[in-house]
Amino acid sequence: MIEANDLTKEYGSVTAVNGVSFSVAEGELFGLLGPNGSGKTTTIRMLTGQVRPTSGSARVMGLDVAKDPVGVRRLVGIIPEQETPPSFLTAEEYLHFVAGIRNLDSVDERCDRWFDLLEFRDKRDVLCKDLSRGTRQKLMFAQAFLHEPRLALIDEPLINLDPIVQRTVKDFLQGYVRDGGTIFLSTHILDIAEEICDRVGVLHNGRLLYCGQTEELAGSGCSLEDSFLDLVRGDAGA
Amino acid sequence: MPVPDLFFAMMKEEWRIHSTIFGSAGFALFPVVVAIFAFAGLLTLPLFSDTLPYTTMAILALLLFLLAGVMVGSFGTMGREFMNRRFGQASLIAYASRSLPVSERRIFATFLVKDTVYYILLYVLPFAAGFTAAAPFISLDPGLGLLAFISLALAFLMGLAAVCLLSTLYARSVRLLAGTVVILAIAGLSALRLGAAPVLPPYAFLLDPSPGPLALSLILILVPAAASVLLVTVDYPDRTKRFTNRFDPLAERLRSLGSAHFIAKDALDLLRSEGGAGKVVFSFLLPLGLVWVCLRILIRFIPGIDLLIVFAVLLGVLSATIYNWLTEFDSFSVYAVLPVEVSEVIDGKLKSYALLNLLPVTVLVLAAATSGGAGTFLPALAAFLSVSAYTLAVTVYLTGLYPNVMLYSAGVFLRYVLATSPVLLLLIFASILDPRYAFASLLLMLPAALLLARGRTRWRAWEMPGY
Repeated sequence: MIEANDLTKEYGSVTAVNGVSFSVAEGELFGLLGPNGSGKTTTIRMLTGQVRPTSGSARVMGLDVAKDPVGVRRLVGIIPEQETPPSFLTAEEYLHFVAGIRNLDSVDERCDRWFDLLEFRDKRDVLCKDLSRGTRQKLMFAQAFLHEPRLALIDEPLINLDPIVQRTVKDFLQGYVRDGGTIFLSTHILDIAEEICDRVGVLHNGRLLYCGQTEELAGSGCSLEDSFLDLVRGDAGA
Repeated sequence: MPVPDLFFAMMKEEWRIHSTIFGSAGFALFPVVVAIFAFAGLLTLPLFSDTLPYTTMAILALLLFLLAGVMVGSFGTMGREFMNRRFGQASLIAYASRSLPVSERRIFATFLVKDTVYYILLYVLPFAAGFTAAAPFISLDPGLGLLAFISLALAFLMGLAAVCLLSTLYARSVRLLAGTVVILAIAGLSALRLGAAPVLPPYAFLLDPSPGPLALSLILILVPAAASVLLVTVDYPDRTKRFTNRFDPLAERLRSLGSAHFIAKDALDLLRSEGGAGKVVFSFLLPLGLVWVCLRILIRFIPGIDLLIVFAVLLGVLSATIYNWLTEFDSFSVYAVLPVEVSEVIDGKLKSYALLNLLPVTVLVLAAATSGGAGTFLPALAAFLSVSAYTLAVTVYLTGLYPNVMLYSAGVFLRYVLATSPVLLLLIFASILDPRYAFASLLLMLPAALLLARGRTRWRAWEMPGY
């Protein structure tokens, strides 16, 4: 579903992502781990055509992201790190706006499903600017899955969500993958990755230090946190 | 937090917001460009001195800076939404009262001082510097530069303070605003019988730099500014607003235009942002009124000038600022997760713009009806439509979806002025020869179409630096 080849992104003199290569197969729940500023968000933005790589290439669902970024965004669902629904539409209107752009039918049914699953039906008529950050995050979840994509790329999926909704979302993501969907998520919360991810990549200072099974990284007797810290600190000291 | 710290933090923030986008040098050169234009413009003054006395030119310059103050004030203090400004929720210091022990009033007062210092450095000082440099070449005393600076700064601040007060009153009550406007209009018209100097004390100060006019100017600045600080109300976004779904019916009604979802979103943005009606009054109708007053003065001195056509040309330029309203509450990050090209968003904005242009067309019809200019209405309409389309196309080409930010880049501003000014001047001069020449402005539709086509491609390839 995703193939990244030597992806590099430079912002002026800063190299945000440095020669990253990996692949994600259909039906996987892949987690990109890394401390703040390690390049996770930039990687997701390159994979979804929001920023152009300085060098390297990526294919998502068979499409070359550089050549057809809109085609990629048509196929996948994206949840950005900073929730950005338009200020002066209500939650319901925003979902209808998204449905209009994606040419979806049965919009009310699709919206109702998400209002009920993430329990924010009572906020449907509130302007997005007046929603709490948690509700905005729920709304961004709803817009990403409104067209039932086969692949979703999620930047920090559980940020701002309360523990009850976090559980709902984790269950949903695992069920989604069981049903054949693919998830690529980035997070610096290791517990999430350890609990739900099949495979993980570890990014530090823009470089991919590890890419493989979650259990292998955790290793025998070690927690994922210990192994992660060893990797990152080892790289920082190198 | 001490006010000086708050002030310097706001100054740094304003600088960084702009310099992040187009580099420190690009923004720092903006005042240099203003100075160069002022210098070049002033060198041409002797050409007009036979028909237009220097005193009249001075009134026009002061009115221009009063207008600049009005526009800066209306931009920064749009009723209850002044904290949002052009960067939406990104004006973090403006929200400091939520997390720091700083009152909203203190923040607003500092914000006002910051805008005063910032825009005087950005516009007034460079203009006065250009004047001082040009003065020896046009037989004027360079010492007048300081006097010009003080007078222009006073005019600018009068506009800024007045609109701050009016927009603060608007945030409290529309009736309060209407009552104040009526009282001010009656007082202004009564004073106008005595001449321009009593209505415009900075002009009186320019003619006679004595304490009297200076004190009157300062009163007209400090009283409204202090009143606006005392009366300020801040509607933080945590006041929940609920609306039934108006998006779908609106999009359905607009379906035949294409881009229906984008236009419907723009319409709701404009209607629901609380500056909605305020935007029209402060950013459009008020400056337009000032332009009308300036033109009424000007036609007394330039024979053959057609008031309606010149007004139509300037109306076209001003109406292009409607595009700024359409992009003020929007950014491409809203669309970045959707299968949408920047060009599609721009197309939607252009259609919204075309619909909103009914407002300036109505103004033009009213101007023609009330000024007895019905005979030149058709060429004036052609001039308005062409200039509006052309100026919009230049704005879109140069600034994409970010006109409120990008026009402060020296390079972008220079190109904007170079692309629009010669065309507008040529059009105005041609219409003096014969008002029907204004029909030739329809030729501007061609470069407008070309610029829009190129702009759509250009902005597809643009990335917000550092984001």
